[in-house]
Amino acid sequence: MSENTSHSHSERKPGAKREMSRRQFLAYTLGGTTGFLAAGVIVPMVRFAVDPVLQPKSASDWVKVVEESKITAEPKSFKFQVHQVDGWYESDPELEAWIAKDSSGKIFALNPTCKHLGCTVNWNNNPSYKDQYFCPCHGAHYTKEGKNLAVAPAPLDEYDVKIENGFVYLGELHANSIVK
Amino acid sequence: MAHGPKSNEKIVYVGDSRVIKRSNKPVAYDYAAYPGKSEVFIPNFLLKEWMVAVVALVGVLVLVMSDPAPLGYPADPTNTSFIPMPDWYFLFMYQLLKYPYASDQYVVIGTLVFPGLLFGGLLLAPFLDTGKERRFYRRPIASALMFLSLISVIYLTVFSWHHYTKELEATGTIPEHIKAEEERQAAKKSGQPAPSAGKTTQVAAIVDESDPAAQIYQKSTCVSCHGADLKGQAAAKIPALRGVGDKHDKAGLLAIMKNGVGSMPPGQYDASKAQGLSDADLDKLADWLAKQKKAQ
Amino acid sequence: MMKGVYNWIDERLDITPMWRDVADHEVPEHVNPAHHFSAFVYCFGGLTFFITLIQILSGMFLTMYYVPDIINAYKSVDYLQHKVAFGVIVRGMHHWGASLVIVMMFLHTLRVFFTGSYKAPREMNWVVGMLIFFVMLGLGFTGYLLPWDNKAYFATQVGIKIAASVPYLGGYIQTFLQGGDIVGAQTLTRFFALHVFFLPAVLLALLGGHFYMIRKQGIAGPL
Repeated sequence: MSENTSHSHSERKPGAKREMSRRQFLAYTLGGTTGFLAAGVIVPMVRFAVDPVLQPKSASDWVKVVEESKITAEPKSFKFQVHQVDGWYESDPELEAWIAKDSSGKIFALNPTCKHLGCTVNWNNNPSYKDQYFCPCHGAHYTKEGKNLAVAPAPLDEYDVKIENGFVYLGELHANSIVK
Repeated sequence: MAHGPKSNEKIVYVGDSRVIKRSNKPVAYDYAAYPGKSEVFIPNFLLKEWMVAVVALVGVLVLVMSDPAPLGYPADPTNTSFIPMPDWYFLFMYQLLKYPYASDQYVVIGTLVFPGLLFGGLLLAPFLDTGKERRFYRRPIASALMFLSLISVIYLTVFSWHHYTKELEATGTIPEHIKAEEERQAAKKSGQPAPSAGKTTQVAAIVDESDPAAQIYQKSTCVSCHGADLKGQAAAKIPALRGVGDKHDKAGLLAIMKNGVGSMPPGQYDASKAQGLSDADLDKLADWLAKQKKAQ
Repeated sequence: MMKGVYNWIDERLDITPMWRDVADHEVPEHVNPAHHFSAFVYCFGGLTFFITLIQILSGMFLTMYYVPDIINAYKSVDYLQHKVAFGVIVRGMHHWGASLVIVMMFLHTLRVFFTGSYKAPREMNWVVGMLIFFVMLGLGFTGYLLPWDNKAYFATQVGIKIAASVPYLGGYIQTFLQGGDIVGAQTLTRFFALHVFFLPAVLLALLGGHFYMIRKQGIAGPL
């Protein structure tokens, strides 16, 4: 609005001394005051609202899942619990991972959440896609390493894996690094 | 639009049901009665109004930063030691209800008649005070009634607060929100995570429940306050005896039984003896209580 | 650029008169404290509105974290005040603003009363103003329960008991406010709905009426 109140001064002679009318001065002061009031009120609130965005990502702890000896070349599903702090709500939700050994014997763990639209995939549950992860929702399927073969736009996510004292520990979830 | 972008023609909507041509803008109030003594709303008037708003905002922010909004402990309907207080602007009503003619069988006077008269009179003021005169000193009845109500409301509010602070003093209560805030500050200073009262504190189990001393406990005077289940009464600030061994050893416990501690009266040792317990029994009891440590 | 967009819209909707009308209308000088300092008493209405704006904004932001549920309400308030950045400030604004708005409104009411500004033709505006006063008190009362701490709980108990003492209708009013037989889960959701949706809606409608009448009838002249 304040821009428009000054339109009568837009035709200034070039080189003429820049003079401000009383009305224009008042309009600018009013604009400044408005800005101060708005900032004083809004800034704390916006900071309050965006706080979750500015929180540092907490590195998740390693969770002990299963004995190393139970892992075979065939992917198997294992359930494990993580401690989750969600604002004022703390819970221990159960998560699932498909854990298997690759051809060189290295253990890897995949998250069964389909990268298409978030359904849950299952190993070897569809006869037409033998030895593959298959998603019942839209027929997305993946190789044993999680490589997306159809429908899904990306390979299955992978958990960090750590072996300690004969146990498999799972860590953070991240994009699949086995298949490109 | 049929008009080209360069058309200077002013569009006038005629007979168009979608857009009504605004012709009847609010008639500007005529201040001809006092000519030359008016100014435009923007920027002249609003600027001053907002200067005042700036002062108010700074005031609010200072208040907000110096005094955090109070937050006590989670609501506990079984809490009997809490002295409830409404917001300050309801205090006069609250106080009014304590008077004999505004309570008991006359409670309707306090809850309905008096506030009804007050707010009804206020609501209908323009129809009760219909004279042309505007200056308050020329409207003695209206002004006198207003002053009278003001004084009584202020008196009731102040007196109610006075009464409340006296009650706090008499019962040695610190208002909950202040205590909660102090606890948070203390936790912050010691670097511990803030006590989140939302979490239920784990109740320690009774150690060695089959011990004969447990029977002795049930016969002692301890039971009457600390409870047969040793849980105490959190609302009345009586501590639980579960886990008491973490705080006191046997000698300390015996001393407390004899001399009391905090709000616990002395002489419980002798009183228990009067109920048929021997020194040996109480010795066993103290032993047993000293064993009540929280399992880690 | 901005001017171009503005002109484009103005050509079609003729918006200039709308804000011009607000911006250029004349306000008598006797209400401006810059001319007579004693005129600061005329500022309380504007301040009430300003603080109401703060209340609406801070309230909107608080609901980003708050849950109206007896198990989680306290925890969420505790969380938003002590764990979220600036939570102390936003909740503080809402808490202290609630008191300030009552103070300002009270002073505004006294000013209007003692300057006799409610006299003809402004009787209706006074009545609307008093209704705003009631709605504000209602907002204070319903807002008090929401943190679900002891103070909230017992103050609400007392408030509802007062409402329950109304002859004949008292019991119904009590059940309506409580949403059941006790002050509990259903009371909290009810008060939340009243505090966040119903009363603010009524408040905004009344404020609209209040301001429209001020424009239509003008500010009362000097004494």
